[in-house]
Amino acid sequence: MDTIIQQLFNAAQLGAVYALIALGYSMVYGIIRLINFAHGDIFMLGGFIGLLLTTRFGWMPFFLLLPLAMLLTALVGVTIERVAYRRLRNAQRMSVVITTLGVGIFLENFVRLTVGPETRQIPARLPSAKVVWLQQHLGAFVTWDKLLIILISLALMAILWLVVNRTLIGTAMRAVADNKDAVPLMGVNLNLVIAVTFAIGSALAAAGGIFYGQAYSIDPYMGIDLGWKAFIAAVIGGIGSIEGAVLGSFLLAGVEVITVAYLSSNLKNGIAFGLLILLLLVWPWGIMGKPTLKKV
Amino acid sequence: MKRLTLALLPLLALSACKPTAQEIKIGVSAPTTGSISATGQSAKNAIALVQDEINAGGGVKVGDKQVKVRFIIEDDEDKPESAATVFQKLINQDKVLAIVGSYTSKCSNAGAPIAEASGIPVVSPWSTNPNVTKGRKFIFRACFIDPFQGRVVAQFATSKLKAKTGAVLYDVASDYNKGIAEVFRDEFTKMGGKIVGFETYNTKDTDFSGQLTKIKGSNPDVLFLPNYFNEVPLQIQQARKLGLTAVMLGGDGWDNPELVKLGGKVMDGTYFSNHYSPDIDNPIAKGFIAKYKSRFGLVPDAAAALTYDSANLILKAVATAGKADSKAIRDALAATVGFQGVTGNITYGGSGDPVKGAVVIKVEDGKFVFDSAVNP
Repeated sequence: MDTIIQQLFNAAQLGAVYALIALGYSMVYGIIRLINFAHGDIFMLGGFIGLLLTTRFGWMPFFLLLPLAMLLTALVGVTIERVAYRRLRNAQRMSVVITTLGVGIFLENFVRLTVGPETRQIPARLPSAKVVWLQQHLGAFVTWDKLLIILISLALMAILWLVVNRTLIGTAMRAVADNKDAVPLMGVNLNLVIAVTFAIGSALAAAGGIFYGQAYSIDPYMGIDLGWKAFIAAVIGGIGSIEGAVLGSFLLAGVEVITVAYLSSNLKNGIAFGLLILLLLVWPWGIMGKPTLKKV
Repeated sequence: MKRLTLALLPLLALSACKPTAQEIKIGVSAPTTGSISATGQSAKNAIALVQDEINAGGGVKVGDKQVKVRFIIEDDEDKPESAATVFQKLINQDKVLAIVGSYTSKCSNAGAPIAEASGIPVVSPWSTNPNVTKGRKFIFRACFIDPFQGRVVAQFATSKLKAKTGAVLYDVASDYNKGIAEVFRDEFTKMGGKIVGFETYNTKDTDFSGQLTKIKGSNPDVLFLPNYFNEVPLQIQQARKLGLTAVMLGGDGWDNPELVKLGGKVMDGTYFSNHYSPDIDNPIAKGFIAKYKSRFGLVPDAAAALTYDSANLILKAVATAGKADSKAIRDALAATVGFQGVTGNITYGGSGDPVKGAVVIKVEDGKFVFDSAVNP
C-alpha cells in the first residue's frame, strides 16, 4: 500500500504538465473564443527550444534556462498570432480553426526536418537524488526533480493567477473575455491584450515542454497526443476558466494513474475518458465553466 | 498537366515492356523516417553495401548472363498503412522481382498479404512475430521468431541470473512486443519462476510511472521490457527514479546505437537477446563489420546485418533459379540450405522461418558486449 503516495506524486507530475498546456488552450479560448489546435505543438517546440539551450549552453543553470526558453517560445507564439491568426479574427470560425491545424503541422515538420525525428531527452539539470524525508515519513520513493517540477509548475500557476487577477493587463484580459467588442471602445488596445495572452499561454506551454523533456521524453509529434489530453482537461475543467484548466488537468492525470495502478493498464484511456464523459454529462460546461446562452 | 501525362504515356509503356534482362529490380520497404528511423538508416546502409558489392562484380549471374542489380528503397514510416502502400507501389509500379522488408512485425503483417497475392517473394530481415510467415508461401525471414527469443530470455533469467520473480511491461498495441511478452510469461512460469507483474502501455505513451510504481510494489528480480530502443531507456530511467532495482532484460528491439545514446549510464548492466554480436567469431561477419565500419563509421546493428543477409539470400536465389522470375526465385529461396550469412547459417525447413541461434548481449559502459550464445 505504500505505493499509493508514490502514485499520487506520479499523477501530480503528469497533471502539472497537462495543466501548463491546458492553461494556454483555456486562456486563448476565453479571450477570443478560438481553439488553438497548434498549441500542443507550441508545447513541443518549447521542449525542443529547451533541448537546444541545454545542449548549446551547457553552463546555463536551470533557473536561467527555463525563463529564457519560455521567453523565446512566447515570441514564437506571438509571431504566429500576428502572422497567421490576426487577419482571420473576423473571418469564418472554420477558417481560423483550419489555420491553427496547419500551423501545428508546419511546426511538427519544421522540427522534424531541422532536429530530426528521433525521441530525445533534455539532459538532466535538476537533481535526481531521492527525497529522503518523503521516504522516511511517507514511504514514497520520490526524486527531487519530480518534486521540483510539481512545485515550480504550481508556482507558475500561482503567478498566472496573480497576473490575471491583480494587474492592469489581467483586468484588461478579463474585460476582453467578457466582451471583446465593447472593450476597445473603452480605450483598451485589443491587439496588445491578445498578444499578451498568446505570450503567456506559449510561455507556460514551453515550461511544460521542458519539464516533460526532463521527466519523460520529447519528439516532434508529442504535441498531438498531449495537446489533445490537455485540451480535454481544459474542457473538463470548463474551458475559459484558469482554475478549471488546472483542476481538470490534475483530475485527468489522477484518473489515468489510478486506473493503471488499481484497475488495468490496458484500460487506461478507456476508463479515464469514460469517466470524463460521465462528468461532462453532469456538468456540460465543465466543472468551473459558466453556463452561457448563445446570443443569436 | 493532362497533355503532359498523355505525352509520357508511350514512354511509360515502353519502359514497362522492356525486357528485364538489363537490370534486376529488388524492392526494399524500410522505416527511413518516423520513430525508428535509425533502423531504416541501418537498412539503407546495408543495402548500399550489397548493391555495390554485387555490381562491382558485374552483377548477379542469371543463366549465362551477368545482370546488374538495382535496389529500390521506399519509406514505410513504421506504419502498417504505409507499408501496405509501399508494397503495392514496389510490386505494381516498380515491378520488382522480390522484396526485402518490412522491418517491424506490424508493417510486415500489413505488406505480406499483398506480396503473397501477387506471387512476389519477400524476405523480412527483422520481423520476429510468428504470424508474418504463417500460412504464406512467398514470405520468408532472415531472423528467428519470438517464441524462440522469449524462451532464450526466460532461460537466461532463470538459469544464469537465478531470478525467482519477474515482471513485464510491454506495448500492447504492437504485434512484436505483445507476442514476445506472452511467450516470456509462459516460459518463465514453466521454468519455475513467478510472474508478479504483467503491465501494458500504448505506442507513443511516454509516462510509464503508474505501471512501474505498481511493478515496484511487487519487487521482482527481473523486469522484461520487450519494446523498441526509442522507449526502453525512458522506461528504465523512470523505473530507477521510482526506486525499482530489478535487472532489466529485453529482446532484439533494443539493438540500436540509439539505446545507449538516449539512455547513457542507466543502460549499464542490462541484457537483451539478439541475432548476432559484432564480437562473434565468424569470418563473414568480420568482413561485413569491417566494410560497414570503414564506409559508415558505425558498428552495424542487427538490423543492418540481417538486411545484408536478406538481400544476399534473394540474390543467391536469383542465381540459383537462373532466371528473373518471381516464382522460380521463391522456389530457390525455399530450398535454401546452409546459407552462410553474417548472422549465422540459414536453412529453411519447409517454412519461411529459418533454423538459427541467438545471442545474449550485455550493456557495459555504453557498449554491447557478447555474453552467451543459445542454439535451438
